[in-house]
Formats: sequence, C-alpha cells, structure tokens
Amino acid sequence: MIRKLSIALAAAALFAAPAAAQNIKIGFSLAKTGLFAQAVPSQLNAYELWREQVNARGGLDVAGKKRMVEFVQYDDQSNPGNAVKIYEKLITDDKVELLLAPWGTPHHFAVAPVLEKYKFPMVGNTAASVQLREIKPGNIWFVTSAIPDKMAAELVAMAKANGYKTAGIVANVLPLAKEIKASLVPALQKAGIAVKVSEEYPPDIKDMTAILTKVKAAAPEALFVLSYPGDSVLYAKQAKEIGIAAPFQFVAVGPTMDFFGKVVGPSANGLVTMGHWSPAKADWKRAKPFYDAYVKKFNEKPDYLDTVVSYMSLEILEQAVAKAGTDKQKLRQAIASMTFDTINGPVKFQGVQNAITPTAFLQIQGSELQLVWPKAIATSPFKAKTGW
Amino acid sequence: MRGALALAALALAAAALPAVAGDYHVGVGLGLLMYVALTQSWTVLSGMTGYVSLGHVVFYGLGAYVAVLLWGEAPLAAIVALAALAAFAFAALIGLPALRVRGPYFVILTFGLAELAKYVVIVVEGWLGKFSRVIFGAPDIETLYYIMFGLAAAATLMTFLVRRSRFGRGLLALRENEEAAETVGVPTVRFKLLAYALSALIPGAVGSVMVLRQTYFEPAQIFDPVVSFTIVTMAVVGGSEDMKGPLLGAAGFVLLSELLWANAPQLYMVLLGLLLIVFVLFAPQGLSGLLPARRRTP
Repeated sequence: MIRKLSIALAAAALFAAPAAAQNIKIGFSLAKTGLFAQAVPSQLNAYELWREQVNARGGLDVAGKKRMVEFVQYDDQSNPGNAVKIYEKLITDDKVELLLAPWGTPHHFAVAPVLEKYKFPMVGNTAASVQLREIKPGNIWFVTSAIPDKMAAELVAMAKANGYKTAGIVANVLPLAKEIKASLVPALQKAGIAVKVSEEYPPDIKDMTAILTKVKAAAPEALFVLSYPGDSVLYAKQAKEIGIAAPFQFVAVGPTMDFFGKVVGPSANGLVTMGHWSPAKADWKRAKPFYDAYVKKFNEKPDYLDTVVSYMSLEILEQAVAKAGTDKQKLRQAIASMTFDTINGPVKFQGVQNAITPTAFLQIQGSELQLVWPKAIATSPFKAKTGW
Repeated sequence: MRGALALAALALAAAALPAVAGDYHVGVGLGLLMYVALTQSWTVLSGMTGYVSLGHVVFYGLGAYVAVLLWGEAPLAAIVALAALAAFAFAALIGLPALRVRGPYFVILTFGLAELAKYVVIVVEGWLGKFSRVIFGAPDIETLYYIMFGLAAAATLMTFLVRRSRFGRGLLALRENEEAAETVGVPTVRFKLLAYALSALIPGAVGSVMVLRQTYFEPAQIFDPVVSFTIVTMAVVGGSEDMKGPLLGAAGFVLLSELLWANAPQLYMVLLGLLLIVFVLFAPQGLSGLLPARRRTP
C-alpha cells in the first residue's frame, strides 16, 4: 500500500517537476505558546489562507515567475528576545527570501533592528504604538491606522458629534491602553467633555465589580474601556450584571474577534471598538471575497482587526514582489513607493505609516460589525447602546 | 588540573565563536552565557546558603531598567557597571528584612518581591509618561556577546573563589545549621547579606546587556518569572554544589531548547518538567554530581 502510494507520489512529482520552479521560502515567528498565544490564530489564519490562495493560483508571482509558497515558521514563546533570534536564524541560517511579521508591538520593535542590519524589508501588521513613528523608515512598515493618539482624537470627535458631555475611563495598564489614555484625557478636556471617573486595573484582573460600581455611580455618557481580549469579555459580562447604562461604550480590543460574540452573546449589541474594516464596504472590492473565503476555510468570522491587518500585509508584499521580485533593494523601493490594492481599500506608505486608511471604529449591530466612524467610510450610522 | 584545562578550552571556544559563526549561533551563545552568568550567581546565595531565591529576575529587571534609563546618556561600560551596582545595592537593602525568613517563606518572599518590583516599575513608567520604550542605536551582537562572556566568566570565577574562601565555608556552615554556625562564631547575618548582594551583582549587569539585545523595554516582559524558574531549573539539573553544575545545567538546557524549540515547543515544556522530576528524585546533586561518580566506576 505504502509502496504503491510512494510510486504514485514519485510519478506525480515527475510530472510536476518540469513545471514547478523552486519554492519560495517565507519565514516568520509566532507566539504560539505563552502570554499572547490566544491572539495568534487571528494572524496565522490570515497567513495560511493567503498561502492556500496563492498556491491555488499556481504560486506567488515573483517578478513574472510563479513560485509555490513554503512557510518556515517558529514559536517565539511570546518572548521578543526569542523573536530577535528567530529572525536572525531565518535570514542567515534558513536563508528565507521573504519575511512575514511576528505578532504584536513588542515583537515588531524587537525585530526592527535585525531588519535594519540585514536591510531586509518586512511589512508589519499587528503593531500599534505612537512609538513606531520613531523607527527609521526603510525596512519595516505598519499597515494599521489604529495608532493610539489618532484613535483618541477620533474617539473624542465621535463622542462630541453625538452630543455627549461626560466621560469615564477604565484602562488596563498594558502599553496600548496606556498610550490611548495618555492622549484621550487631554483631548476630552479640550473638547469640554468632563471625565467623571477614571480607573486602572492590572492585566490579569479577575473581577471588575468594584471599578464598575464606581463607574455606575458616576454615570458617564461615554465610557472608554481600554481593554485587551480577556478583560473585554470580563467587562461585558460584569457591566451587564451591574447595569452600566452609558449610551456610548467603547471596548478597545476583543469585540472584533469571533469568540467575543460567541461568549458575550446578544448583550454585546451596541459596543463600539477599534477597527477600520468591514466586508460590507462595497467599494473595497477585495473585502467581501476575502471574508467569504475566510469563513469557508475556518468556519468562523475573521478577526476584523488582526486578521485584516495581517492579510493586508500579505497583499502588499504580494503586489510588491510581483513588481520587484525578491531583490531586497528593489523590493524596499516598491513597498515604499507603490499604492496597493487591499481588502481595506488602497494603501500607500509615508515613512513607516499607512497614509491612506483612516482611523475608524466599528460597532456591534445585531450579529454584524459595522463601520460607524468616520462618516465618510461608514457602512451604518452609530446607534446609542440601549442596555444589555 | 583536568578541570581547569577543560574550562580553559571551553572559554577559548566561547571567545572564538563570533569569529566563526553567524549571528544566529552567536545569539544562541549569548543566551547560553546569560544563563551561565545568572545561574552561577544564583548558586552563591541559594546553592551555598540554602536560601532558595525564586525571584532572581528582579535583579535582571532592575539592571535592564537602569540601562533603559541611561541609554544614550552614558557610555556602555558605565551603564553595565551601574546596572550591576544598582542590583547589588538593592539586594543589600532588601536583604536584611528578607533574609529573616527561611525555607518556603523565603522562596515565596523572593517571588513576591520580583512581582512587586515589576508593578512598581510599571507605575513609575506611567508617571514618566512612558508605557514601553524602544531603544535605538543599540550595540551589535558581537559587542554584547563579549560583554556577556566577561560576565559569565566573572560569575564562574566568583563562585569558585567564594567556595574556597572562609566566607564560603561560613555560608556552607549556615546552610547546614544556622544556629550552630552562629554559635561557633560565623557572622551569619553579615554573611547571608553579602551572599545575597553578591548573587545580585552580575544578574543586574546581565539584564542591562539583554535589554540592549531586545531593544524593547516593557516591564511586564523584562520581569518575566520564567527567567527565575529557568535559573532554578538549571541549577537543579546541573547541580549547585560546585562551579561545574551551572555550566552543565545552562549548556544542557539552552542546547536542548535550541534543538526542540523549532519543531516541538510543547514537547520542550513536557521534557523540562520530566527532567526536573527525574533529577530531583534520582540525582539530587545534578549532572555535576553524576560526573565524578562515573569517572570512578570503570
């Protein structure tokens, strides 16, 4: 049996051989274990869907020549130090021709000097920090438009446009939350919105009752919960029990992930969250096909944040490689200068940042996530949250 | 004599690595030297006095924080030295109350102390308006490697010298019976405190080097309890009865992890647990305890 199979395989290989050029090795590290492990499927699924799609099209177009995509991947155990080592290994030892991004801001920052040293271009995805602007442009780019200070400004603009006069802040102490908060507080003051309550909590919080009781007593109209996936679920559950009645409730990271809706259920209706993409946006031609392909392959919805930025980074790389091939110098120039057609509309970089995609917010409306801000790209108007 | 020769050969090989290997292998070497330096330092306290520290990452983290604060303001050598001194001073300060408790209480206390320091740094960073920091223009890996080589060598030498000294004998005496040692004239309080501070000195410097390697500082990731656990594991597997133990433990672990990490990260953790159990049950003296016995048998 096995022998027959191997003969068949050998025969298949013989037939396939003349047509197939050498596979293109693409390397990356992921936090498959450790602190960030639960965030990784959002990113890895995008990578795997893309590889499957590209290989189904006959391979990656490398300056006119099709080559099948082969991944070289390692687990960085959620440790940025390991990511540094892995990218050095990928470049010098595995000799991959292209690199994909690791997960999260710390890992992007950690590998940036490695990219710089080897002049190896990489399109980043799951990183958002005001500090990314300080990184020397040329070898790394960030597709996200959810930069904390821009987000804070837009959140305040959105609250003001809806006529809210009072605000509350509940923030995790991890970097992204603190960066948003640092810009949010002065922006609220400037807009004349009074901060009635402001609380912080540790990353491993298990009970928010005390904090939410204070929030309830202060009764702000706009509540900004600067949370991560685990504590976002905790917030939604306990805010419902306690009866937080703010008509505008922003929950930073989590509601875009498929599990959030499954765990929290219909009471999540009306929550606003970070995210700049929707498959309902008709003029982003690639958005709906991506959504459908993802749902078909994984039998769940994509994460509107991490899966989307990850997939965008692949589209950008694919289009740049089609034009420039894998020569590092040419590829760097292509990424820095081209305008890319992505599931999130056109993308062009200025320095290390995406200069086109607007900072935007999503709202859970029924079973869908709708773009509600800014109005120019909205797929549905914002609706005040009317209870849980 | 043979031991000294072997050690010299090892040192030569380590010193030559950057000349013959690529960045990846130099990076593996850097990690190995880091754990040699940390575990050797740890044995000065925990191996010799029996006060088991499960929070040595606190010194590593403090050193890293010193480096982050001073980077760009002071030369590299001064930063590494100051990081070491800061950790030393912190241990000397905290040691007096901490070393009043023994056994499991001391273990828990050191662990808690590291967590406390982590959250204090998070709060301080918040006041400073910094929520994570990116380090620009960090030295290249060869430079960091040679500094780490120096630190690992210094830690090994320190363990060796302490063991041979009157001070070291005093530490061993107080490990066996603190009251008895006190009675025969060992100044136990002073000795314990000095051992604690010495065991913190090099980990402070190691932290400063490793944060420059990562080029990214975020308190929750630098004060990572896994570093503390790994040190203890290496000491248990390698043995903490002489200076060979930490060398063997660190080498065994770092190399094993490099071999397994690529393909089977979960298996690595399972093996780690199994190894620990096997060594605690069957070879409480660690790898280094097995070596001479084997040499005698043939």
